[in-house]
Amino acid sequence: MSTVRRLRSPAPSAIVDLLCAPPEAAPPATARLAEVLAARLVATPRAAPSRLDAFVAEYGAARFATAFRWSAKAARRPLGTGALRRLVAGTSRELLGAAREEVDATCDRAQRGLARRGALGTWLAAAPAEVRALCAVEAATWAWGLCHLVDYDAHAGRLAVGVPDAWFDVPGGRTTLHGRRDAMSAGVAGGLLRLRDGAPGVRAHDGLLVDGLVAAISGSAPCAPTRVVGAWPDAGVVLGVELDADTVRRAARVVVACAATFVPAAAPSAAPVLAA
Amino acid sequence: MSSATIAPTDELVVALRGTGALRPRVDRGLAGGLRAWLDDGVFERVGVPLPGAIRVATRDVAGAPRSGGPAAMLRGALVAQLLRLHVAGCVPADPFDGAAAALAASGRDDALTALLAELDAEDRAQLAAEVAAHAAVLVDRLPLVPSRWSPRVGVRHQVPIAGGGVVLHGQIDLTLGEPGGTTACVCLLDVTTSVLEARHEEGLEHLALLATLRCGEPPLRVAALSTADGAAVVRDVDATMLADAVDRVLRAVDVLVAR
Repeated sequence: MSTVRRLRSPAPSAIVDLLCAPPEAAPPATARLAEVLAARLVATPRAAPSRLDAFVAEYGAARFATAFRWSAKAARRPLGTGALRRLVAGTSRELLGAAREEVDATCDRAQRGLARRGALGTWLAAAPAEVRALCAVEAATWAWGLCHLVDYDAHAGRLAVGVPDAWFDVPGGRTTLHGRRDAMSAGVAGGLLRLRDGAPGVRAHDGLLVDGLVAAISGSAPCAPTRVVGAWPDAGVVLGVELDADTVRRAARVVVACAATFVPAAAPSAAPVLAA
Repeated sequence: MSSATIAPTDELVVALRGTGALRPRVDRGLAGGLRAWLDDGVFERVGVPLPGAIRVATRDVAGAPRSGGPAAMLRGALVAQLLRLHVAGCVPADPFDGAAAALAASGRDDALTALLAELDAEDRAQLAAEVAAHAAVLVDRLPLVPSRWSPRVGVRHQVPIAGGGVVLHGQIDLTLGEPGGTTACVCLLDVTTSVLEARHEEGLEHLALLATLRCGEPPLRVAALSTADGAAVVRDVDATMLADAVDRVLRAVDVLVAR
Protein backbone atom coordinates (compact mmCIF):
# COMPACT_ATOMS: atom_id res chain seq x y z
CA MET A 1 0.00 0.00 0.00
CA SER A 2 1.51 3.32 -0.98
CA THR A 3 1.93 6.27 1.32
CA VAL A 4 -0.59 9.09 1.23
CA ARG A 5 0.99 12.36 2.17
CA ARG A 6 -1.26 15.03 3.58
CA LEU A 7 -0.02 18.62 3.77
CA ARG A 8 -1.92 21.46 5.40
CA SER A 9 -1.37 25.01 4.12
CA PRO A 10 1.92 23.93 2.53
CA ALA A 11 4.46 26.40 1.22
CA PRO A 12 4.67 26.39 -2.60
CA SER A 13 8.17 24.93 -2.45
CA ALA A 14 6.85 21.95 -0.45
CA ILE A 15 4.30 21.18 -3.20
CA VAL A 16 6.89 21.55 -5.96
CA ASP A 17 9.34 19.35 -4.04
CA LEU A 18 6.65 16.71 -3.66
CA LEU A 19 5.88 16.86 -7.38
CA CYS A 20 9.50 16.66 -8.44
CA ALA A 21 10.90 14.23 -5.86
CA PRO A 22 12.18 10.87 -7.16
CA PRO A 23 9.62 8.04 -6.97
CA GLU A 24 9.56 5.76 -3.93
CA ALA A 25 9.05 2.66 -6.09
CA ALA A 26 9.66 1.64 -9.66
CA PRO A 27 7.22 3.32 -12.07
CA PRO A 28 4.35 1.00 -12.96
CA ALA A 29 4.32 -0.91 -16.24
CA THR A 30 0.97 0.02 -17.68
CA ALA A 31 0.80 -1.57 -21.14
CA ARG A 32 -0.63 -4.89 -19.97
CA LEU A 33 -2.85 -3.20 -17.41
CA ALA A 34 -4.32 -0.95 -20.12
CA GLU A 35 -5.17 -4.03 -22.21
CA VAL A 36 -6.87 -5.79 -19.32
CA LEU A 37 -8.71 -2.66 -18.26
CA ALA A 38 -9.94 -2.07 -21.81
CA ALA A 39 -11.18 -5.66 -22.00
CA ARG A 40 -13.07 -5.27 -18.73
CA LEU A 41 -14.65 -2.01 -19.83
CA VAL A 42 -15.65 -3.39 -23.21
CA ALA A 43 -17.23 -6.35 -21.45
CA THR A 44 -19.23 -4.07 -19.17
CA PRO A 45 -22.50 -3.28 -20.94
CA ARG A 46 -23.31 0.33 -20.26
CA ALA A 47 -25.92 2.71 -21.45
CA ALA A 48 -24.45 6.08 -20.52
CA PRO A 49 -22.32 7.99 -19.97
CA SER A 50 -19.38 7.14 -22.15
CA ARG A 51 -16.90 9.29 -20.24
CA LEU A 52 -15.47 8.29 -16.90
CA ASP A 53 -13.21 10.42 -14.73
CA ALA A 54 -12.03 10.92 -11.17
CA PHE A 55 -15.12 12.92 -10.24
CA VAL A 56 -17.39 10.05 -11.21
CA ALA A 57 -15.15 7.69 -9.29
CA GLU A 58 -15.49 9.86 -6.18
CA TYR A 59 -19.08 10.97 -6.36
CA GLY A 60 -20.81 8.41 -8.57
CA ALA A 61 -23.35 9.05 -11.25
CA ALA A 62 -24.98 12.03 -9.52
CA ARG A 63 -23.23 14.52 -11.80
CA PHE A 64 -25.20 13.14 -14.76
CA ALA A 65 -28.54 13.71 -13.08
CA THR A 66 -28.81 17.10 -14.76
CA ALA A 67 -27.71 17.98 -18.26
CA PHE A 68 -24.42 19.85 -18.54
CA ARG A 69 -24.55 23.48 -19.52
CA TRP A 70 -21.77 25.99 -19.76
CA SER A 71 -21.36 28.61 -17.07
CA ALA A 72 -18.58 30.86 -15.83
CA LYS A 73 -17.87 28.27 -13.16
CA ALA A 74 -17.55 25.46 -15.70
CA ALA A 75 -15.54 27.58 -18.14
CA ARG A 76 -12.94 28.96 -15.75
CA ARG A 77 -10.62 25.94 -15.82
CA PRO A 78 -10.37 25.49 -19.63
CA LEU A 79 -10.07 29.24 -20.11
CA GLY A 80 -7.64 29.58 -17.21
CA THR A 81 -5.49 26.79 -18.63
CA GLY A 82 -5.46 28.53 -22.00
CA ALA A 83 -4.52 31.80 -20.33
CA LEU A 84 -1.61 30.12 -18.56
CA ARG A 85 -0.48 28.67 -21.88
CA ARG A 86 -0.44 32.17 -23.36
CA LEU A 87 1.53 33.48 -20.41
CA VAL A 88 4.11 30.70 -20.63
CA ALA A 89 4.42 31.18 -24.40
CA GLY A 90 5.02 34.87 -23.82
CA THR A 91 2.12 36.00 -25.99
CA SER A 92 0.52 37.69 -22.97
CA ARG A 93 2.20 39.51 -20.11
CA GLU A 94 -0.38 39.27 -17.35
CA LEU A 95 -3.09 36.80 -16.46
CA LEU A 96 -6.24 38.87 -16.71
CA GLY A 97 -5.18 40.08 -20.15
CA ALA A 98 -4.27 36.51 -21.10
CA ALA A 99 -7.70 35.32 -19.96
CA ARG A 100 -9.42 38.02 -22.02
CA GLU A 101 -7.39 37.02 -25.07
CA GLU A 102 -8.25 33.37 -24.51
CA VAL A 103 -11.96 34.24 -24.34
CA ASP A 104 -11.67 36.29 -27.53
CA ALA A 105 -9.77 33.54 -29.34
CA THR A 106 -12.30 30.92 -28.24
CA CYS A 107 -15.14 33.09 -29.53
CA ASP A 108 -13.28 33.77 -32.74
CA ARG A 109 -12.84 30.07 -33.45
CA ALA A 110 -16.56 29.53 -32.98
CA GLN A 111 -17.45 32.47 -35.21
CA ARG A 112 -15.27 30.98 -37.95
CA GLY A 113 -17.23 27.76 -37.71
CA LEU A 114 -14.43 25.83 -35.98
CA ALA A 115 -16.42 24.85 -32.88
CA ARG A 116 -19.11 22.24 -32.59
CA ARG A 117 -22.55 22.93 -31.20
CA GLY A 118 -22.40 22.82 -27.41
CA ALA A 119 -18.71 23.75 -27.30
CA LEU A 120 -17.42 26.43 -24.96
CA GLY A 121 -16.66 28.73 -27.89
CA THR A 122 -20.16 28.43 -29.29
CA TRP A 123 -21.64 29.36 -25.91
CA LEU A 124 -19.24 32.26 -25.38
CA ALA A 125 -19.72 33.62 -28.90
CA ALA A 126 -23.45 33.85 -28.31
CA ALA A 127 -23.11 35.35 -24.82
CA PRO A 128 -23.24 39.07 -24.04
CA ALA A 129 -20.05 41.02 -23.32
CA GLU A 130 -20.74 40.94 -19.58
CA VAL A 131 -20.73 37.14 -19.54
CA ARG A 132 -17.47 37.02 -21.50
CA ALA A 133 -15.92 39.49 -19.04
CA LEU A 134 -17.15 37.41 -16.11
CA CYS A 135 -15.62 34.28 -17.65
CA ALA A 136 -12.30 36.09 -18.14
CA VAL A 137 -12.07 37.29 -14.55
CA GLU A 138 -13.09 33.89 -13.16
CA ALA A 139 -10.55 32.16 -15.40
CA ALA A 140 -7.84 34.56 -14.26
CA THR A 141 -8.83 33.96 -10.63
CA TRP A 142 -8.53 30.20 -11.17
CA ALA A 143 -5.17 30.54 -12.91
CA TRP A 144 -3.87 32.88 -10.21
CA GLY A 145 -4.85 30.27 -7.66
CA LEU A 146 -2.71 27.68 -9.43
CA CYS A 147 0.24 30.05 -9.87
CA HIS A 148 0.15 31.08 -6.21
CA LEU A 149 -0.17 27.51 -5.06
CA VAL A 150 3.12 26.53 -6.67
CA ASP A 151 4.72 30.00 -6.83
CA TYR A 152 5.12 29.54 -10.56
CA ASP A 153 7.38 32.57 -10.98
CA ALA A 154 9.97 30.99 -8.69
CA HIS A 155 9.60 27.43 -9.97
CA ALA A 156 8.97 27.95 -13.68
CA GLY A 157 11.96 25.76 -14.62
CA ARG A 158 10.71 22.81 -12.57
CA LEU A 159 7.03 22.85 -13.51
CA ALA A 160 4.88 22.91 -16.60
CA VAL A 161 1.50 24.62 -16.36
CA GLY A 162 -1.22 24.92 -18.97
CA VAL A 163 -0.80 21.24 -19.77
CA PRO A 164 -3.60 19.39 -21.58
CA ASP A 165 -5.68 16.78 -19.80
CA ALA A 166 -5.06 13.07 -20.41
CA TRP A 167 -7.54 11.00 -22.43
CA PHE A 168 -7.74 7.30 -23.11
CA ASP A 169 -10.21 5.94 -25.63
CA VAL A 170 -10.96 2.34 -24.80
CA PRO A 171 -10.23 0.34 -27.96
CA GLY A 172 -13.37 -1.36 -29.22
CA GLY A 173 -15.54 0.28 -26.60
CA ARG A 174 -17.70 3.35 -26.23
CA THR A 175 -15.83 4.50 -23.17
CA THR A 176 -13.36 7.35 -22.84
CA LEU A 177 -11.35 7.88 -19.69
CA HIS A 178 -10.51 11.45 -18.75
CA GLY A 179 -7.73 12.46 -16.38
CA ARG A 180 -7.29 16.01 -15.14
CA ARG A 181 -3.84 17.59 -15.13
CA ASP A 182 -3.26 21.15 -14.07
CA ALA A 183 0.53 21.09 -13.74
CA MET A 184 3.32 18.57 -14.15
CA SER A 185 6.91 18.35 -13.11
CA ALA A 186 9.10 19.47 -15.98
CA GLY A 187 11.43 16.47 -15.72
CA VAL A 188 11.11 13.28 -17.73
CA ALA A 189 9.59 11.38 -14.80
CA GLY A 190 7.71 13.08 -12.05
CA GLY A 191 4.37 13.97 -10.60
CA LEU A 192 1.23 15.61 -11.83
CA LEU A 193 -0.83 18.18 -9.95
CA ARG A 194 -4.59 18.45 -10.00
CA LEU A 195 -6.71 21.20 -8.43
CA ARG A 196 -10.21 20.72 -7.12
CA ASP A 197 -12.79 22.97 -5.44
CA GLY A 198 -13.91 22.54 -1.85
CA ALA A 199 -12.34 20.03 0.50
CA PRO A 200 -11.24 16.46 -0.18
CA GLY A 201 -14.03 13.91 0.19
CA VAL A 202 -13.77 10.44 1.63
CA ARG A 203 -12.84 8.99 -1.77
CA ALA A 204 -10.36 11.68 -2.74
CA HIS A 205 -7.55 9.12 -2.74
CA ASP A 206 -9.34 7.01 -5.35
CA GLY A 207 -9.95 10.07 -7.49
CA LEU A 208 -6.27 10.95 -7.49
CA LEU A 209 -5.35 7.41 -8.47
CA VAL A 210 -7.80 7.48 -11.37
CA ASP A 211 -6.27 10.70 -12.66
CA GLY A 212 -2.84 9.12 -12.34
CA LEU A 213 -3.94 5.92 -14.09
CA VAL A 214 -5.41 7.79 -17.06
CA ALA A 215 -2.27 9.90 -17.40
CA ALA A 216 -0.17 6.74 -17.24
CA ILE A 217 -2.05 4.78 -19.89
CA SER A 218 -2.84 7.70 -22.18
CA GLY A 219 0.71 7.77 -23.50
CA SER A 220 0.51 11.55 -23.71
CA ALA A 221 3.75 12.07 -21.76
CA PRO A 222 7.17 10.52 -22.32
CA CYS A 223 6.88 8.63 -19.02
CA ALA A 224 4.01 7.62 -16.78
CA PRO A 225 3.65 9.93 -13.78
CA THR A 226 5.17 8.54 -10.62
CA ARG A 227 3.04 10.52 -8.21
CA VAL A 228 -0.28 12.35 -8.19
CA VAL A 229 -0.68 15.44 -6.08
CA GLY A 230 -4.17 16.74 -5.44
CA ALA A 231 -4.66 20.28 -4.17
CA TRP A 232 -7.83 21.69 -2.65
CA PRO A 233 -6.89 25.38 -2.39
CA ASP A 234 -10.25 26.32 -0.78
CA ALA A 235 -9.32 24.09 2.13
CA GLY A 236 -5.55 24.59 2.07
CA VAL A 237 -5.13 20.81 1.81
CA VAL A 238 -2.75 18.88 -0.43
CA LEU A 239 -2.68 15.09 -0.80
CA GLY A 240 0.06 13.17 -2.56
CA VAL A 241 -0.09 9.51 -3.58
CA GLU A 242 2.56 7.37 -5.23
CA LEU A 243 1.75 5.58 -8.47
CA ASP A 244 3.18 2.10 -8.34
CA ALA A 245 2.07 -1.33 -9.50
CA ASP A 246 -0.36 -1.74 -6.59
CA THR A 247 -1.95 1.66 -6.79
CA VAL A 248 -2.50 1.68 -10.56
CA ARG A 249 -4.17 -1.72 -10.24
CA ARG A 250 -6.37 -0.34 -7.51
CA ALA A 251 -7.20 2.64 -9.76
CA ALA A 252 -8.16 0.26 -12.57
CA ARG A 253 -10.52 -1.60 -10.21
CA VAL A 254 -12.07 1.71 -9.20
CA VAL A 255 -12.67 2.58 -12.88
CA VAL A 256 -14.28 -0.79 -13.57
CA ALA A 257 -16.46 -0.52 -10.48
CA CYS A 258 -17.40 2.98 -11.54
CA ALA A 259 -18.36 1.79 -15.03
CA ALA A 260 -20.45 -0.95 -13.49
CA THR A 261 -22.56 1.57 -11.59
CA PHE A 262 -24.01 2.68 -14.90
CA VAL A 263 -25.07 -0.83 -15.85
CA PRO A 264 -28.89 -1.06 -15.81
CA ALA A 265 -28.89 -4.73 -14.83
CA ALA A 266 -26.15 -7.05 -13.67
CA ALA A 267 -24.52 -8.88 -16.54
CA PRO A 268 -22.10 -11.78 -16.30
CA SER A 269 -18.62 -11.03 -17.54
CA ALA A 270 -15.94 -13.36 -18.88
CA ALA A 271 -13.34 -10.62 -18.98
CA PRO A 272 -9.84 -11.02 -17.51
CA VAL A 273 -9.36 -10.38 -13.81
CA LEU A 274 -7.42 -7.24 -12.96
CA ALA A 275 -5.59 -8.59 -9.94
CA ALA A 276 -3.65 -11.10 -12.03
CA MET B 1 -4.69 46.76 16.43
CA SER B 2 -5.32 49.50 13.95
CA SER B 3 -8.76 50.10 12.56
CA ALA B 4 -9.73 52.92 10.28
CA THR B 5 -13.09 53.99 9.02
CA ILE B 6 -12.64 55.52 5.63
CA ALA B 7 -14.61 58.61 4.74
CA PRO B 8 -16.41 58.50 1.41
CA THR B 9 -13.89 60.91 -0.02
CA ASP B 10 -10.81 58.87 0.93
CA GLU B 11 -9.17 56.43 -1.41
CA LEU B 12 -10.14 52.94 -0.30
CA VAL B 13 -7.54 51.01 -2.26
CA VAL B 14 -4.75 53.30 -1.08
CA ALA B 15 -5.78 52.69 2.54
CA LEU B 16 -6.05 48.96 1.90
CA ARG B 17 -2.74 48.47 0.13
CA GLY B 18 -0.78 51.08 2.09
CA THR B 19 2.86 51.87 1.46
CA GLY B 20 4.97 48.94 0.34
CA ALA B 21 7.96 49.92 2.48
CA LEU B 22 5.86 49.94 5.66
CA ARG B 23 4.41 46.46 5.34
CA PRO B 24 5.29 44.02 8.13
CA ARG B 25 7.19 40.80 7.64
CA VAL B 26 5.04 37.72 7.12
CA ASP B 27 4.62 35.66 10.29
CA ARG B 28 4.35 32.07 9.02
CA GLY B 29 4.36 30.67 12.54
CA LEU B 30 0.89 31.98 13.34
CA ALA B 31 -1.22 29.62 11.23
CA GLY B 32 -0.01 26.44 12.90
CA GLY B 33 -0.64 27.81 16.37
CA LEU B 34 -4.13 29.03 15.46
CA ARG B 35 -5.01 25.67 13.96
CA ALA B 36 -3.77 23.83 17.05
CA TRP B 37 -5.79 26.21 19.24
CA LEU B 38 -8.91 25.51 17.19
CA ASP B 39 -8.31 21.75 17.21
CA ASP B 40 -7.85 21.72 20.99
CA GLY B 41 -10.88 23.96 21.55
CA VAL B 42 -13.13 21.75 19.43
CA PHE B 43 -11.87 18.62 21.20
CA GLU B 44 -12.61 20.15 24.62
CA ARG B 45 -16.15 21.00 23.54
CA VAL B 46 -17.29 18.11 21.38
CA GLY B 47 -14.57 15.50 21.40
CA VAL B 48 -13.98 14.07 17.94
CA PRO B 49 -16.89 15.05 15.68
CA LEU B 50 -17.67 13.02 12.57
CA PRO B 51 -16.22 14.42 9.34
CA GLY B 52 -18.18 17.47 8.24
CA ALA B 53 -20.50 17.28 11.24
CA ILE B 54 -20.22 20.97 12.14
CA ARG B 55 -20.26 23.72 9.56
CA VAL B 56 -19.27 27.20 10.71
CA ALA B 57 -20.05 29.98 8.24
CA THR B 58 -19.32 33.68 8.52
CA ARG B 59 -22.89 34.35 9.63
CA ASP B 60 -22.45 31.90 12.52
CA VAL B 61 -19.56 33.85 13.99
CA ALA B 62 -20.52 37.39 13.04
CA GLY B 63 -24.29 37.29 13.11
CA ALA B 64 -26.75 37.18 10.27
CA PRO B 65 -28.00 40.32 8.53
CA ARG B 66 -31.48 41.53 9.24
CA SER B 67 -33.57 39.76 6.68
CA GLY B 68 -34.39 42.06 3.83
CA GLY B 69 -36.23 39.33 2.01
CA PRO B 70 -35.60 38.01 -1.46
CA ALA B 71 -35.07 41.51 -2.85
CA ALA B 72 -32.09 42.09 -0.56
CA MET B 73 -30.61 38.72 -1.50
CA LEU B 74 -31.01 39.50 -5.17
CA ARG B 75 -29.51 42.95 -4.73
CA GLY B 76 -26.48 41.48 -2.97
CA ALA B 77 -25.98 38.80 -5.62
CA LEU B 78 -26.28 41.31 -8.46
CA VAL B 79 -23.83 43.75 -6.87
CA ALA B 80 -21.40 40.86 -6.34
CA GLN B 81 -21.56 40.24 -10.08
CA LEU B 82 -21.00 43.93 -10.75
CA LEU B 83 -17.85 43.78 -8.64
CA ARG B 84 -16.56 40.94 -10.82
CA LEU B 85 -17.34 42.87 -13.99
CA HIS B 86 -15.67 45.96 -12.52
CA VAL B 87 -12.48 43.99 -11.78
CA ALA B 88 -12.60 42.58 -15.33
CA GLY B 89 -12.72 46.16 -16.63
CA CYS B 90 -16.20 45.72 -18.08
CA VAL B 91 -18.59 48.64 -17.80
CA PRO B 92 -22.11 47.42 -18.58
CA ALA B 93 -24.31 49.88 -20.43
CA ASP B 94 -27.08 49.01 -18.00
CA PRO B 95 -25.80 47.78 -14.60
CA PHE B 96 -28.93 45.78 -13.83
CA ASP B 97 -29.08 43.99 -17.19
CA GLY B 98 -25.34 43.34 -17.14
CA ALA B 99 -25.41 41.98 -13.60
CA ALA B 100 -28.48 39.85 -14.35
CA ALA B 101 -26.77 38.32 -17.38
CA ALA B 102 -23.66 37.61 -15.33
CA LEU B 103 -25.72 36.10 -12.51
CA ALA B 104 -27.55 33.80 -14.91
CA ALA B 105 -24.25 32.65 -16.44
CA SER B 106 -22.36 32.29 -13.17
CA GLY B 107 -23.41 28.69 -12.63
CA ARG B 108 -23.68 29.25 -8.89
CA ASP B 109 -26.93 31.01 -8.07
CA ASP B 110 -29.60 29.17 -10.04
CA ALA B 111 -32.20 29.70 -7.32
CA LEU B 112 -31.64 33.46 -7.35
CA THR B 113 -31.70 33.52 -11.15
CA ALA B 114 -35.08 31.82 -11.06
CA LEU B 115 -36.26 34.29 -8.41
CA LEU B 116 -35.15 37.18 -10.59
CA ALA B 117 -37.06 35.82 -13.56
CA GLU B 118 -40.23 35.61 -11.46
CA LEU B 119 -40.20 39.27 -10.39
CA ASP B 120 -43.08 41.37 -11.67
CA ALA B 121 -42.38 44.52 -13.66
CA GLU B 122 -42.74 46.87 -10.71
CA ASP B 123 -40.41 44.91 -8.40
CA ARG B 124 -37.96 44.49 -11.24
CA ALA B 125 -37.87 48.22 -11.95
CA GLN B 126 -37.35 48.99 -8.28
CA LEU B 127 -34.53 46.45 -8.03
CA ALA B 128 -32.94 47.82 -11.20
CA ALA B 129 -32.94 51.32 -9.72
CA GLU B 130 -31.37 50.07 -6.48
CA VAL B 131 -28.69 48.10 -8.33
CA ALA B 132 -27.86 51.15 -10.47
CA ALA B 133 -27.39 53.23 -7.33
CA HIS B 134 -25.15 50.62 -5.74
CA ALA B 135 -23.18 50.28 -8.98
CA ALA B 136 -22.51 54.02 -9.01
CA VAL B 137 -21.13 53.87 -5.44
CA LEU B 138 -19.03 50.81 -6.23
CA VAL B 139 -17.40 52.39 -9.26
CA ASP B 140 -16.87 55.64 -7.41
CA ARG B 141 -15.28 54.06 -4.31
CA LEU B 142 -13.28 51.31 -5.97
CA PRO B 143 -11.02 52.45 -8.78
CA LEU B 144 -9.98 50.04 -11.51
CA VAL B 145 -7.66 47.44 -10.00
CA PRO B 146 -4.38 46.96 -11.87
CA SER B 147 -3.68 43.40 -12.99
CA ARG B 148 -0.29 43.47 -11.27
CA TRP B 149 -2.13 43.32 -7.94
CA SER B 150 -3.42 39.85 -8.91
CA PRO B 151 -7.10 40.52 -8.18
CA ARG B 152 -9.09 37.37 -7.43
CA VAL B 153 -12.86 37.49 -7.16
CA GLY B 154 -15.26 35.37 -5.13
CA VAL B 155 -12.61 33.10 -3.62
CA ARG B 156 -14.30 30.49 -1.45
CA HIS B 157 -12.77 29.10 1.70
CA GLN B 158 -13.69 25.76 3.16
CA VAL B 159 -11.12 24.99 5.83
CA PRO B 160 -11.38 21.70 7.72
CA ILE B 161 -10.20 21.66 11.33
CA ALA B 162 -10.30 19.04 14.07
CA GLY B 163 -9.67 16.26 11.59
CA GLY B 164 -12.42 17.50 9.30
CA GLY B 165 -15.10 17.36 12.01
CA VAL B 166 -15.55 21.12 11.78
CA VAL B 167 -15.42 22.95 8.47
CA LEU B 168 -15.05 26.73 8.43
CA HIS B 169 -16.70 28.44 5.47
CA GLY B 170 -16.40 31.91 4.03
CA GLN B 171 -16.16 33.77 0.76
CA ILE B 172 -13.98 36.76 0.01
CA ASP B 173 -15.34 39.12 -2.60
CA LEU B 174 -12.00 40.52 -3.72
CA THR B 175 -8.46 39.49 -2.85
CA LEU B 176 -5.44 41.56 -3.86
CA GLY B 177 -1.72 40.85 -3.64
CA GLU B 178 0.34 37.69 -3.93
CA PRO B 179 1.17 35.52 -0.95
CA GLY B 180 4.56 33.91 -0.55
CA GLY B 181 6.77 36.98 -0.20
CA THR B 182 8.78 38.14 2.78
CA THR B 183 6.37 40.96 3.60
CA ALA B 184 2.61 40.65 4.01
CA CYS B 185 0.78 42.09 1.03
CA VAL B 186 -2.48 40.15 0.65
CA CYS B 187 -5.56 42.33 1.19
CA LEU B 188 -9.15 41.16 1.45
CA LEU B 189 -12.20 43.25 0.57
CA ASP B 190 -15.75 42.38 1.50
CA VAL B 191 -18.42 44.29 -0.39
CA THR B 192 -21.84 44.57 1.20
CA THR B 193 -25.02 46.25 0.06
CA SER B 194 -26.14 46.96 3.61
CA VAL B 195 -24.94 49.73 5.94
CA LEU B 196 -21.80 48.76 7.86
CA GLU B 197 -22.40 47.36 11.34
CA ALA B 198 -20.27 45.74 14.03
CA ARG B 199 -20.97 42.32 12.51
CA HIS B 200 -19.15 43.30 9.35
CA GLU B 201 -15.93 43.87 11.31
CA GLU B 202 -16.38 40.51 13.02
CA GLY B 203 -16.95 38.95 9.63
CA LEU B 204 -13.69 40.49 8.41
CA GLU B 205 -11.86 38.91 11.35
CA HIS B 206 -13.32 35.54 10.40
CA LEU B 207 -12.23 35.94 6.78
CA ALA B 208 -8.73 36.93 7.91
CA LEU B 209 -8.59 33.75 10.01
CA LEU B 210 -9.74 31.61 7.09
CA ALA B 211 -7.17 33.16 4.75
CA THR B 212 -4.45 32.58 7.35
CA LEU B 213 -5.38 28.93 7.84
CA ARG B 214 -5.71 28.33 4.14
CA CYS B 215 -2.50 29.98 2.92
CA GLY B 216 -0.35 29.58 6.00
CA GLU B 217 0.28 33.31 6.26
CA PRO B 218 -1.88 36.14 7.57
CA PRO B 219 -3.13 38.78 5.15
CA LEU B 220 -1.96 42.35 5.49
CA ARG B 221 -5.32 44.09 5.81
CA VAL B 222 -9.01 43.42 5.54
CA ALA B 223 -11.68 45.91 4.53
CA ALA B 224 -15.41 46.16 4.11
CA LEU B 225 -17.12 48.50 1.68
CA SER B 226 -20.79 49.36 1.85
CA THR B 227 -22.30 50.20 -1.50
CA ALA B 228 -25.33 51.58 0.35
CA ASP B 229 -23.54 54.73 1.44
CA GLY B 230 -19.91 54.33 0.34
CA ALA B 231 -18.64 53.89 3.90
CA ALA B 232 -15.66 51.61 4.36
CA VAL B 233 -13.63 50.22 7.20
CA VAL B 234 -10.05 49.01 6.89
CA ARG B 235 -8.24 46.96 9.55
CA ASP B 236 -4.70 45.73 9.92
CA VAL B 237 -4.48 42.00 10.53
CA ASP B 238 -2.47 41.02 13.59
CA ALA B 239 -2.25 38.22 16.12
CA THR B 240 -4.83 39.82 18.42
CA MET B 241 -7.42 39.99 15.66
CA LEU B 242 -6.82 36.37 14.70
CA ALA B 243 -7.01 35.23 18.34
CA ASP B 244 -10.36 37.03 18.66
CA ALA B 245 -11.52 35.24 15.51
CA VAL B 246 -10.52 31.86 16.95
CA ASP B 247 -12.42 32.64 20.14
CA ARG B 248 -15.47 33.58 18.11
CA VAL B 249 -15.32 30.35 16.09
CA LEU B 250 -15.19 28.29 19.27
CA ARG B 251 -18.17 30.17 20.69
CA ALA B 252 -20.04 29.53 17.46
CA VAL B 253 -19.24 25.82 17.77
CA ASP B 254 -20.76 25.92 21.27
CA VAL B 255 -23.94 27.45 19.90
CA LEU B 256 -24.17 25.10 16.92
CA VAL B 257 -23.68 22.03 19.09
CA ALA B 258 -26.29 23.23 21.58
CA ARG B 259 -28.94 23.54 18.84
